[in-house]
Amino acid sequence: MGEREGSVAKIVSEKLGDDKVPEEVASLILDAMRRCAPEVGAGEGGQAAGPKRVYLKSISVEGFRGIGPKATLHLAPGPGLTVVTGRNGSGKSSFAEAAELALTGENKRWADRSSVWKEGWRNLHEPDPAAIAVQLTEDGEAGITTVTSDWALGAALESANDTVWVGGTERSLTEKGWAKPLELYRPFLSYAELGALVSGKPTSMHDAMQAILGLDLFTDMEKTLTEERRSAEADMKAAKNELPALLAKLAAHPDERARLAEKAIGERPQDLAALDALIVGEDVAGEGPTGLFRQVITVTLPATEDMAAAVDRLAAARAAVAALAGTRAADARRLARLLTAALEHQRSHVGEPCPVCGARLLDEAWAASAKSSIAELTAQATDADAAFAEERAAVGALARLVPPKPSALAADLGPELDPAAASTGWDRWVSEIAAMTSAAPLPAGDAASSRVSEVMAAFEALSGAVTELRSSAEKVLQDRAAAWQPLARDLALWSELARNGEHASVLANELRKAIEWLRATGKEVRNARLAPFARTSAEVWEMLRQESNVELGPITLAGAGPQRKVTLDVTIDGVPGAALSVMSQGELHALGLALFLPRATAADSPFGFVIIDDPVQAMDPAKVDGLARVLSSVARTRQVVVFTHDDRLPAALRQLQLSATVLAVTRHERSVVTVRAVSSPVKRYLDDARALAKTESLPEGVRAVAVAGLCRGAIEAACVDVVRSRDLARGISHAAVEESLDRALHSLQDIVALAMFGSAARAGDVPSGLKALGGPSCANAFWDAKRGVHDPNHGDLRRFIDDTELLTKALRR
Amino acid sequence: MSGSGTTVVTPESLLAAADRLLASPVPGAGAQWPRACALLIRLALEMTLDRFWGRVLPVAAECGMRQQLLLLPLYTVDLPATAGLAREAWLGLAGAAHHHAYELAPTAAELRTWHSEVTQLATLLLA
Repeated sequence: MGEREGSVAKIVSEKLGDDKVPEEVASLILDAMRRCAPEVGAGEGGQAAGPKRVYLKSISVEGFRGIGPKATLHLAPGPGLTVVTGRNGSGKSSFAEAAELALTGENKRWADRSSVWKEGWRNLHEPDPAAIAVQLTEDGEAGITTVTSDWALGAALESANDTVWVGGTERSLTEKGWAKPLELYRPFLSYAELGALVSGKPTSMHDAMQAILGLDLFTDMEKTLTEERRSAEADMKAAKNELPALLAKLAAHPDERARLAEKAIGERPQDLAALDALIVGEDVAGEGPTGLFRQVITVTLPATEDMAAAVDRLAAARAAVAALAGTRAADARRLARLLTAALEHQRSHVGEPCPVCGARLLDEAWAASAKSSIAELTAQATDADAAFAEERAAVGALARLVPPKPSALAADLGPELDPAAASTGWDRWVSEIAAMTSAAPLPAGDAASSRVSEVMAAFEALSGAVTELRSSAEKVLQDRAAAWQPLARDLALWSELARNGEHASVLANELRKAIEWLRATGKEVRNARLAPFARTSAEVWEMLRQESNVELGPITLAGAGPQRKVTLDVTIDGVPGAALSVMSQGELHALGLALFLPRATAADSPFGFVIIDDPVQAMDPAKVDGLARVLSSVARTRQVVVFTHDDRLPAALRQLQLSATVLAVTRHERSVVTVRAVSSPVKRYLDDARALAKTESLPEGVRAVAVAGLCRGAIEAACVDVVRSRDLARGISHAAVEESLDRALHSLQDIVALAMFGSAARAGDVPSGLKALGGPSCANAFWDAKRGVHDPNHGDLRRFIDDTELLTKALRR
Repeated sequence: MSGSGTTVVTPESLLAAADRLLASPVPGAGAQWPRACALLIRLALEMTLDRFWGRVLPVAAECGMRQQLLLLPLYTVDLPATAGLAREAWLGLAGAAHHHAYELAPTAAELRTWHSEVTQLATLLLA
């Protein structure tokens, strides 16, 4: 399998390149492949020689189903047909079920049944001990492998104690590596399963075929990719599924951010960036009430002491100016300059009368008073200048304290917040200040001080109103934030989903392409590999169909996903597409067998045997000889064990002279089951020989020739049994055994030598060896058979046949 | 083949009669026609073998069918297919020609198969 999986992996890798599959899609496919077949590429080898074949040697059953005391079904390991007959209830099916149970741990006939079936598995008469032992020979392995299941007293069917013995060493079933092939090739077919093969669940048949074709890697990969796609699609839908609930929450939310969120979600494509800004809580572009609330919170007024100082400063400056009381700095300066000029004049005209008025003498006394007047006037002018400058500065300082009126105070802040008080307060404050700073005539005294207190009162009122407004704005914002928080969380979660969804939708699209490509490629490879299987099925059907007007065309694996199935191109009377429902039960069974055999006998299967339980039951009598032919053609390369409840199949085999061993199972009282050989190729040759020998009407010569041929056939058949059974158990490969048989069968002496000594080269030792083995009669029988047709023994034919029987028994001892 | 004037029964005439029975219902044959047809084919087979033994081993014709089928391969070494053909045809015909209450009459397709087997056998053995 490793090699085939490896080749599937190779096909996939190569075709990915050839088909120019986009990078992302190809990487998804390769990733799925790595996960489904991690060992691919590890370079598994050593399977080139083909699988080792396993054959059944015996099935021993005790205390199980219809079998009480231990009963053993001995089988000749190696290719060949064994028919086990027995009436219904004889216990024959118990052997088939036991072998299946011991090897696979389950039984298809019971698998889907109610517990009543599972409980009734112990034998009624001998419930304890309950044990199954299946002896097998393995191609190329010396010794016998024994698979056993036994049950403690009272143990349930499932709690069997399973062991595998190879020679004297205990191994586990897992170690044998049979679990997967048993599931893949299922060499067991029960009557119940026969119909189910065709009418059963179409997907399981599909998967089984797919697995046999070495294509389960395709199935596994598709399964992996489909799961990924499903989860991507779920991600895609998650945002959509959550949307109605989110929109309902948004609609119920008064916050204007909810409106903005609705808008962002409603846009195509959705504006997830805008949504994220809302989630963080920042206002989008500072619009809307929340932005205004924030403005309200940031409204700042000058500090009260600054305000008071500025107002006081202006009042004081005003007072200082008023105190100048009409003095004009310019007049004082001019007068001072006049007096200064008069004083200079007086210095050169001391004691002369005043040149302006002529009355007063400008003496020293005048000069002294004039000097002091000049000083006084100059001081007066300087003071007046300073007072005016201070007044201007104080006006400017006060004006600078007044900020522009915040627009938020004039805005509609909604029902939660009324800025009216603050707004009118602001206006009054501003107008009071304007009144104070205007150049209007100054009120004097008390009037001035009342103006100061009015300005301050207006400021205090405003300050109070603003503080109140601000704190209510803060409260409103806090309330809104508290109310928004959960929704913001919801939005954040949804935004995450939406982003994942965007990513998932890209991924889902790539996955879809990957799956499509995988299916198309799988189909190509699969139908190419299916062809040989389909051919075998068609051949089997051809042999089984007999008079059926049902024609089986190509078999294909069709459909994908849950619709996958095996398509049988069935035509009835040349009408295509006719439903399987038109077919009879017997036809369905035949078709089931046609599907089962190619699978159970696939070249890669390690199982050299198939066990078929009652395929004849619903079969048309005429199909039985077709079945006989099918089974013996399979038996050329496989060990075929068929259980049947009537004589039709053995009769057909006998009549068609198809080589088969027939065993009869009979059940006595108290579930005592015995197995007895009814017919075997050896026995049939001998029976035929006796029938001819007794036909007195035939000339003796003719009888002698015919009897010799049949006796020779009996000896050869006995030798083939001996060689196969012994050499396969010795660990010689099936192919090598068959080859040596083929070569030796050209000469009776060679085949007997091969049977007796294990080597055709010792043909010379045969006569003496036979004498030693079974006395002179054995040797005589050998010589008579060997001379056979060319020089027949004309003596006692009955004795010849009896001696031949002795010889075959001696060989098989 | 079996003209109105001649009364000689040959394998060919028996097979021709069976063929007519197979092709279209014959008045009077009624529901028993498949068994009648099988009987005709079986007689054709037996007569073919009789004639063959007449040429190579007359006493064999007196033996039972089991013996005849056992001897046939010894005398048809150059015609290896014939023994198998005879066995297959006999397997079907032996049962079909008997009136077992519980056994169903053969179908047209089965009869056609046996008919062609016996025709082939007659051609090979009596050539």
